[in-house]
Amino acid sequence: MVLNTDVDQPILEVGEFYQLLTAHLEAGFGRRRPHWVRGEIAKVYEKGHVYVDLVDAGTASSDTKRPVLNAHCWATPWAPLKRRLAAEGVTLKAGMVVSFYGYVDVYAPQGKIGFSITEIDVEGLLGDVARRRQELIARLAAEGLLDVNKRLGLSAVPLRVGLVASPGTEGYNDFTGQLLNSAFSFAITLVKTVVQGDAAPRQIAAALAALDEYGVDVICVVRGGGSKGDLVCFDDEQVARAIASSSTPVFTGIGHTGDESVADLVAHTRAITPTKLGEEVVALVARWYETNVQAPAQRILEASDDVVEEATAYLAERRRTMIFAVRDRLRGEERHLASTRQRLVIQSGHLLASATQMLASNRQLLAAYDPARRLAQGWSVVTDSKGAVVKSLADIASGDDVRVLVSDGTFGARVGETKESE
Amino acid sequence: MSVSDWNEAAGELNAIVASFDEGEVSVDDLFTKLERATAIIESLEERLALTKAKVDELTPRIARVIDDE
Repeated sequence: MVLNTDVDQPILEVGEFYQLLTAHLEAGFGRRRPHWVRGEIAKVYEKGHVYVDLVDAGTASSDTKRPVLNAHCWATPWAPLKRRLAAEGVTLKAGMVVSFYGYVDVYAPQGKIGFSITEIDVEGLLGDVARRRQELIARLAAEGLLDVNKRLGLSAVPLRVGLVASPGTEGYNDFTGQLLNSAFSFAITLVKTVVQGDAAPRQIAAALAALDEYGVDVICVVRGGGSKGDLVCFDDEQVARAIASSSTPVFTGIGHTGDESVADLVAHTRAITPTKLGEEVVALVARWYETNVQAPAQRILEASDDVVEEATAYLAERRRTMIFAVRDRLRGEERHLASTRQRLVIQSGHLLASATQMLASNRQLLAAYDPARRLAQGWSVVTDSKGAVVKSLADIASGDDVRVLVSDGTFGARVGETKESE
Repeated sequence: MSVSDWNEAAGELNAIVASFDEGEVSVDDLFTKLERATAIIESLEERLALTKAKVDELTPRIARVIDDE
């Protein structure tokens, strides 16, 4: 075997080799001169520093010849980068296509030629995150999962509330405050979960399944406001599918106004904040209460008043009518009696006058036969010793003593000779 | 007189009033009918007062339901 070697080249020690390599690389790339490199994250590992295996996007992991760039970001530059990414809800994950800004780095102790990251194209990453989100929404829509939970019927009185939340958080307190301060006795069944971070999607999905199994009227997923990064777990496919597969209506109150997660899109009902969600659940019960308790009570009250008023008016009217009817009847009788009395008085007067007149007439007639009048005319009345009027010679005899009545007195006389009239 | 049935009693009362309206009441019957009508009215009023009292007692309870929000 003939070795094709350049005898003029010195034999290098390993260290010298790396120095030469480094010199060549720096000659080619410039010392620590930064470059942009784009690729798909094949593997990511973080332990203070972050280590990323970057490959050409779209290449298969089974391709053993695909180039891999071992990139790393030391803890010092990584900390602010991580914060920025977290604020936007981005976590470096395998499959992401990302552009790193950095420089070639030779690390002789491990024999590695790598890439030291100093900057990440966050905007680009966000675009990628957004694209993935849209792709998830499109997939859910294609499978008909965006509306499946919305089509579930709501309990008429959703008092049994399943709650997926982190106790003690602002969102939890805002939501439960609305329910507990309402006039209704809500039965809240809480399944504690973290509501941010990598563990959140799995826990939230498990909590949804557990509450669906347990049996509640409505499941409420609650999380207060935060950065996009805090809320990114609610864009997770696992959470979206758990909501879609729930046989219980799922309500969401996530973040604050303006936030709309994939969970919100899949949920039965979405409120813009936990407080609003609490208000909405209370309002559902309040509407039922108003329709089924308050309104009938109002109608009963009004109808009851109407019946009592009507009966009162009826009795008052009957009482008046009776009084007037009896008075009329009595007045009628009084008038009749008065009229009769009057007629009797008038008739009596007539009778009396007539009798008086008759008596006067009779008196006049009788006056004509008055003996006094005859006596005054010179007539006299003779009575015997017994006082009997002498009407015939047969009543007396000569020598009898008689008494003679004249107009102004009497005197005694004795019967002399008697002689019959011719 | 006790009123077991409001409508029945009211019917009898109405009949008495009608007999007055139609002038069918003789003087002999007047007192009897007036006495009967008075008894019915007083009995109905007593019953109504009891009902009112019960309504007044229940009204705040129903109103509480209405006022509850």
